[in-house]
Amino acid sequence: MNMMGNVVMALRGISSNWLRSLLTMLGVLIGVAAVIVLLAVGTGSSEAVAKSINSLGTNTLTVFSGGRTTSQTGTKSSNATLSTTDVKLIGDSNNAPDVQSVSPVISTNETATYKGATYSTSVIGSTPSYLPASNYTISAGRSISSADVKSHAQVVDLGSTVTSSLFPTGSNPLGRQIQLGSSEFTVVGLLASKGSSGLSNGDAVVIAPYTAVQDQLTGQSQSFSELLVQGKSSSTLTLAQSEVESILAAQNNTTVANLPFSVLNQASLLSTATSSSKTFTALLGWVAAVSLLVGAIGVMNIMLVTVTERTREIGIRKAIGAPKSVVLSQFLIEAVVISMLGGVIGVLAGLVVVRFKIDGVQPVLATYSIPLAFGVALLVGVFAGLYPAYRAASLRPIDALRYE
Amino acid sequence: MTVLTDGNPRMNSDGKIGTANVGERAVIALADVVKRYQMGGHDVFATRGVSLVVPRGEFVAIMGASGSGKSTLMNIIGCLDIPTSGHYRLDGVNIRDLDDRELSRIRNRKIGFVFQGFNLLARMSAVQNVELPMAYAGLKAKDRRARAEVALNTVGLADRMGHFPSEMSGGQQQRVAIARAIATNPALILADEPTGNLDTTSTIDLMSMFADLHSQGRTVVMITHEEDVAAYATRVVRLRDGVIVGDHQRVPIHARDEHVAHVQAATARLDDREMPS
Repeated sequence: MNMMGNVVMALRGISSNWLRSLLTMLGVLIGVAAVIVLLAVGTGSSEAVAKSINSLGTNTLTVFSGGRTTSQTGTKSSNATLSTTDVKLIGDSNNAPDVQSVSPVISTNETATYKGATYSTSVIGSTPSYLPASNYTISAGRSISSADVKSHAQVVDLGSTVTSSLFPTGSNPLGRQIQLGSSEFTVVGLLASKGSSGLSNGDAVVIAPYTAVQDQLTGQSQSFSELLVQGKSSSTLTLAQSEVESILAAQNNTTVANLPFSVLNQASLLSTATSSSKTFTALLGWVAAVSLLVGAIGVMNIMLVTVTERTREIGIRKAIGAPKSVVLSQFLIEAVVISMLGGVIGVLAGLVVVRFKIDGVQPVLATYSIPLAFGVALLVGVFAGLYPAYRAASLRPIDALRYE
Repeated sequence: MTVLTDGNPRMNSDGKIGTANVGERAVIALADVVKRYQMGGHDVFATRGVSLVVPRGEFVAIMGASGSGKSTLMNIIGCLDIPTSGHYRLDGVNIRDLDDRELSRIRNRKIGFVFQGFNLLARMSAVQNVELPMAYAGLKAKDRRARAEVALNTVGLADRMGHFPSEMSGGQQQRVAIARAIATNPALILADEPTGNLDTTSTIDLMSMFADLHSQGRTVVMITHEEDVAAYATRVVRLRDGVIVGDHQRVPIHARDEHVAHVQAATARLDDREMPS
């Protein structure tokens, strides 16, 4: 009995009881589809987290003023601020060789107005290096410049959400005057959309020279709410962090451990997030595996029923000379065909479901999940079929022939 | 597939042409065969020392009431069961030495089974049923189809090859079973109450077919409890309580004049009747 004949025989067996076979297949189908969909959801959500962390910037450290307020040591000044001196020192490549750029940041919230249209937006006062460090690109016009910073020019780059809220579509905002609070600013550039990152809308932003923001909006405090430090590469980001920390510690006459600022390292944030989303994905995978296991039990159950039902057929086959191995492979192939059919349809169903957003997460198909799910379906068939097939093959022909 | 061709004389399991033992030239040689079962802690003897030699070309009916041990004997002769003690040579092969796989092989190559309940596979057409043992023997699809067609032709079902068992009468199904039994050209055709589920007309029809096979030189062993059916055999062996109590040669009924007339009348009736489809 060749392989082809066995497969044809198995298909005939399956189709003779098509409703039962279909329901059995459904178990495997759901399991396989669940593996693909849940792994895709896991991958999709971890990619979303990585994307929102990446939207903070590329290889960046963020130094927040007034982070830690430990007061058990007298050395720590409670009114420590981030000053222009700090910016200069960190920006000096002799002091911090692994720092690419440092951008002082003053942020405030203002209502932007243009011809009656208003939009409440966050305003970032910074230097030109802030844009590349935060992954902002200019889609039209120009970036704020160092000259603008020096001359306290009242110019702004508008985020895409602000642009679309203030200006009617089709109009050219470049060169127009918008009001931030009570001051007038000229639009010199438009920022390309970064897309919604999940954590915050990076497009609801207005970027202006920090000098102008201090003049017009926040007042002359000479201190910054944060410093955005860009490292030269992701591998040296930790080095850059320690350089920045020791400069700030020296400036504030304290030690790195007692630094009155908190430093957020994007790389370590990303790796933490990545490892937690990996755990999440693995968990989803196990849930899917459980549903596949249930499918496997279904296949085994039905194969046992099939063997019992066809005891007489087995008896006839053995009496006219079917060796054990042929009976074994006949039922094994039948189980494998059932679970493979379920597997194929399950993969297709999974591919369809993955196209839709699930609970706000756009699933991203993990390519390894298809061969994985398919391979597991095959194994399910083999393992679920093995015992029933062995039982069939071990039947004594005289007992099987006598079975009614 | 040398086993399927009627290579005579056959080789025994040692690969030598048998000469020494009387039984070696015979198709069946049973020597003091005992079958003992355990039932509720007691030993139950189904056969208590049966010795029987069936030479090539005989048509033997084994008769006995239920409980006489004839079913056990049929299982042993058919290599479906192994004797507790004693010896059995089938076509020169010592059955006691064989394992499960070899027994399957022997059943496949040397025995053609015809059962009381027809035992065709319902999901296969007539020709596929006839092909099945040849498929297990490893014959190519083309060869087994050709042989299956010849066999079905022999039993007069050339026009029903594609029919499924459910589409055929009992007599036709049993003829398919005979076709399946003879297609492999076995050393022995073993029939277990072949007419048990058939009406009188089909019984006569079927028994004539066995008689024909016998006249072509085939060895037929038939288990039955009906005297009418046993009358077609050339030899009748009677069993009681697991031992042989009678063993007679006789002139089969189809060789007698009154039977020929009887069969002709029955055949005429058959021809007039529409076959159920």
